[in-house]
Amino acid sequence: MSVEFNEFELELKAELERHPAPPGLKSKILQRQRLEHEQRRHARAAWWQKLAASVLLVAMAGGTWIWRNAEERRKGEAARQQVLTALRITNHALDVMNAQLQERNRESQ
Amino acid sequence: MVGNWQPDFEQLVDEHQTMVFSLALRMSGDHMLAEEIAQDVFLELDRNLRRIESPEHATHWLRRVAMSRSADALRRRRARCAHLWVEIEEGHGAQPEERISPLGARLERLLATLSEAQRAVLVLRYQEDLTPEEIAAALDAPLATVKSNLQRGLKLLRAKAEAQLKEYVRGV
Repeated sequence: MSVEFNEFELELKAELERHPAPPGLKSKILQRQRLEHEQRRHARAAWWQKLAASVLLVAMAGGTWIWRNAEERRKGEAARQQVLTALRITNHALDVMNAQLQERNRESQ
Repeated sequence: MVGNWQPDFEQLVDEHQTMVFSLALRMSGDHMLAEEIAQDVFLELDRNLRRIESPEHATHWLRRVAMSRSADALRRRRARCAHLWVEIEEGHGAQPEERISPLGARLERLLATLSEAQRAVLVLRYQEDLTPEEIAAALDAPLATVKSNLQRGLKLLRAKAEAQLKEYVRGV
């Protein structure tokens, strides 16, 4: 049995040689490789563009937020200064009135 | 020396296209599909080129991926339509431009009737001249399974050959 098997195996080995690759296979592979590299390059460029756009959006949103915060702070400070000025004026007016009242008091006495 | 080796994709295609195409053709039994599988295998090699460490590694990697992609393609095709098996058996390896002996063509046809696992081990054993250990590594299968498939496949192929090919019937 083993002799027959060996003969059969030898026959099988002889018959199962590699098939030659079709003539255009290499060029098709290289063409697809070029295409895939091109697609990968485009995908990478698109990814960077998306990343840059995202960074820009985040920067714009952050800038707007910071600007609005600063603006609110500036307005708050201006309002505070206005209130302080009004208080100073009122205080001054009251001082003047007080002085006038004291003057009249002295005159009536 | 291995550390200095730089893989050259074009050279690897030149060196291994016959092996990859043959494995795919014998596993799929379809010339067009085999060409497609071979292209896919080499494109995958291109994507993994940095990981290839030596010429031997490239050969082993290509053999392994060719077998696995062929199995995937067969599975996909089986899922699409079962009746294609008839076409495989009828058309297996029969390319008009190839110089193939009538005996070889009949053996190829018989090989196509074996199960996928048996066909895989027989192709790797007799086309690629691999040892059972190397086949086990290429197919990522246990050695005992490989040996059993090899033995059963060979026995079955021989029985089929005896029934169909008078060249193998001794003493008749």
